[in-house]
Amino acid sequence: MDKPVGDIGMEREENVTSLALLASFLRLGASSFGGGMAGWTHREIVERRGWLTDDEFLKTLTVAQIMPGANPVNLAVYIGLKLRGVAGACIALFGMVLPAFGVILTMSVVYQQLRSHPEAQAVLRGLACVGIASSLTMGIKTARRLKGHALPIAMAVAVFLMVGVMRWSLVAVVAGAIPVSVAATFWIEREKARG
Amino acid sequence: MGDDKLLNLILLCIPLSLVSFGGGQTIVASLQHQTVDILHLLSGPQFTDLYAISRAAPGPGTLIVALIGWEVSGLWGAVLATLAIFIPSSILLCILGSYWQRHRHSAWAIAAEKGLAPVAVGLIFAGVFAVGQSARFTPLELATSLGAIAVLLTTKTGPYPLLGVVGVSYFLLSLAGMA
Repeated sequence: MDKPVGDIGMEREENVTSLALLASFLRLGASSFGGGMAGWTHREIVERRGWLTDDEFLKTLTVAQIMPGANPVNLAVYIGLKLRGVAGACIALFGMVLPAFGVILTMSVVYQQLRSHPEAQAVLRGLACVGIASSLTMGIKTARRLKGHALPIAMAVAVFLMVGVMRWSLVAVVAGAIPVSVAATFWIEREKARG
Repeated sequence: MGDDKLLNLILLCIPLSLVSFGGGQTIVASLQHQTVDILHLLSGPQFTDLYAISRAAPGPGTLIVALIGWEVSGLWGAVLATLAIFIPSSILLCILGSYWQRHRHSAWAIAAEKGLAPVAVGLIFAGVFAVGQSARFTPLELATSLGAIAVLLTTKTGPYPLLGVVGVSYFLLSLAGMA
């Protein structure tokens, strides 16, 4: 588990120790309040440690965003993989998730203690409202990127109806929708290129 | 009984991990539907509580599965659910990441990148819809949500100040017997 597996095409493995990697990602995991994670990670990995160049970091960022999984966690895992192979990926995942996991478990315990109090119930209801609002805002901001094209909008509406209203299996709907959506996008892009 | 529930939760998380594009927001609909209506691991209000905690906590929203795991079977439940939601997607990333990086300028890769957005949008709205239905909002709560959306869309305010303000307001309203 603690030997780098294979060379991922970066020859800097000797200068990155497991301990330094763990320290870096624990620090990042602990500072993952809200957004701006990519900025924090860039500061730590590129500027402070010099483990990746700007260009390498940007490439990893794209991959982390496109693949399934939480983006900050993906970014960490992929950087860990590049620096120290599979062991590095495991260290990065552990370091990145552990601080937030600790906080959320603490909140769980507090919730169990306070659950019966009407005040705590009211506060949670209020927080749920803001949570829903922030999800919806994120959805609206992502929807704006569809730029009013009929096909992507129809796709988004269809996915919403199937998963949200008809309650079909989310995994099955996504497995079916992604090829269709990617093929449609491919076609739209090609038409655009032809003018 | 608890073990059965935990196994069900893990078997729910593994496939969801592989479609959790952009993180926890896209899989909330399925988590709500499965844990409340199908597997009966949680009640509707309980799910809304856990959702609220996960949105107020730092770190990825995906960690709502740790909360569900904790409710179902304590520390082990939380640990195993967390592993089940992060490990499959991480393995996929490690396998496909370098391939993706090499081909990222091909027309299909660009289409894949853009083609994911509409699916993610549909899933995020489905998640909001699922939580909203399970929460059964009062008019005051509905107004709070709409106000929060207006603030988030029109100002540069992040969710954390809002969580603080709304949390404190609801606490005071509750003391006054109004919420």
